[in-house]
Amino acid sequence: MEARLRGDGRGTRAGPLSLALALVVIGFVGVVQWDSSAAREEFTTSAQQALARQVLALEREQAALREQIAEAEADVRREQDESEGSQAALEELNGRLEAARVAAGLTEVRGPGLIVEIADSKRVVPAGDNPANYIVLVDDLRDIVTALWASGAEAITINGERLVASSSIYGVGSSVLVNTAFLQPPFRIEAIARGETHDRFLAHPAFLGRAARRIDAYGLEFATAPDDELELPAFLGATRLRWAVPSGEAS
Amino acid sequence: MRGPLAWLSLFLVGALIGILLVGQLRSQNRPQELTSLTAQELSALIETQSARNRELRAGLSEARDRLREYTLADARGSGAREVTEEDLARIAAFAGLLPVEGQGVTVAIDGALDAIAVNDLVNELRNAGAEAIAVDDVRITARSVAVQGARNMEVDGEEIGRAFTIRAIGSPEGLMSTLQRPGGIISQLEQFVDATITLTPVGPALGVAGAPEIMRLPATRLELQPEVARRVP
Repeated sequence: MEARLRGDGRGTRAGPLSLALALVVIGFVGVVQWDSSAAREEFTTSAQQALARQVLALEREQAALREQIAEAEADVRREQDESEGSQAALEELNGRLEAARVAAGLTEVRGPGLIVEIADSKRVVPAGDNPANYIVLVDDLRDIVTALWASGAEAITINGERLVASSSIYGVGSSVLVNTAFLQPPFRIEAIARGETHDRFLAHPAFLGRAARRIDAYGLEFATAPDDELELPAFLGATRLRWAVPSGEAS
Repeated sequence: MRGPLAWLSLFLVGALIGILLVGQLRSQNRPQELTSLTAQELSALIETQSARNRELRAGLSEARDRLREYTLADARGSGAREVTEEDLARIAAFAGLLPVEGQGVTVAIDGALDAIAVNDLVNELRNAGAEAIAVDDVRITARSVAVQGARNMEVDGEEIGRAFTIRAIGSPEGLMSTLQRPGGIISQLEQFVDATITLTPVGPALGVAGAPEIMRLPATRLELQPEVARRVP
């Protein structure tokens, strides 16, 4: 009886105490949250907001330019198809042109292949650890793409950006630029390839050497799946060479 | 009654703490929004985006020029064969199917550079505007990658020795300045890799005695026509 009363008494005191402590913690976390948001807001009000607006304007301009290029390219192809002249010779020439376009990545293509998805880790970054370890780095994408090409991929896109001979995968801070596009995670890499490429890719040293280790160590979100029918868009951008002059015949 | 009520309150309080903590942690996660990038990152992004938009404008003007050429050819009655042949040469050179020549830079390497470093160098050259690249005599295409082979590093199945040269056609000044910038790829490689790296601009009037004025890169030996990818009509 005494024990029960003592116990009740402890409960009576401990309840409000726990609640008070918990409310202090809530208050602390709430203030930190509000404070950091306010600080970020303040930080991004002036010069940074102007810069961010500039980036958005450039992105809008880019979208419009890409649309206009697609339209102009379609017009050029229509002209090629309708042009007059020796029909047989032109057909042969247009056939070679079309084959070169396919080889260069300038046409939309379809076929079997695989999809690789990678995104930032959802793990809480341990104190003292580098947060950059837990996000997808430009090196991860380069390793994945290297392993895909080396495993036999015939065409690759990253978030819809077709990779061609002039494509670079470039890091700007923690963001990634592919061709002319500023890409955000999650990254979806689609590759048209023969069926065995999926297994080859997962076993390729270019993937296992660095990217696979980071996926395991830091819990980067990662998934792959074969696909029976992928459709990859054409590359949209400049292909005219200003410095390189074609010389001679193809070997 | 007090016991369960106290537990319920604590549960609710715990849940609230959890929500707030998640909010706090998320807000410290990857800066996905532009406003959370630093001013320096945003400036770099603007510079890169502006350069890429210039490329796109050049691409648009190039497509419109070709369209005009086709229209003119039709009007002259000369046919489109000549225009199509030019188009074919341009696309084949872009893809690596034709040899090309021009000014640019050479990067001579002697030492322990691995496949990752070679791929990074090629990526950097592309980003700097190189229009055609070769590693020794292997023309780089979209599909070309350096990998560690059974004995040596390989590019497109061709063995690359310890000493090799990367040649890139493009603006010599632009390529040199990108490669040589402080903290850039060459300074990083020199810091971490046991290799001698020598950069040489190639072009007339560059003031380098005895330097070649032009270089010629071969066409790829790879078959670039896909086996399973089909053109969407």
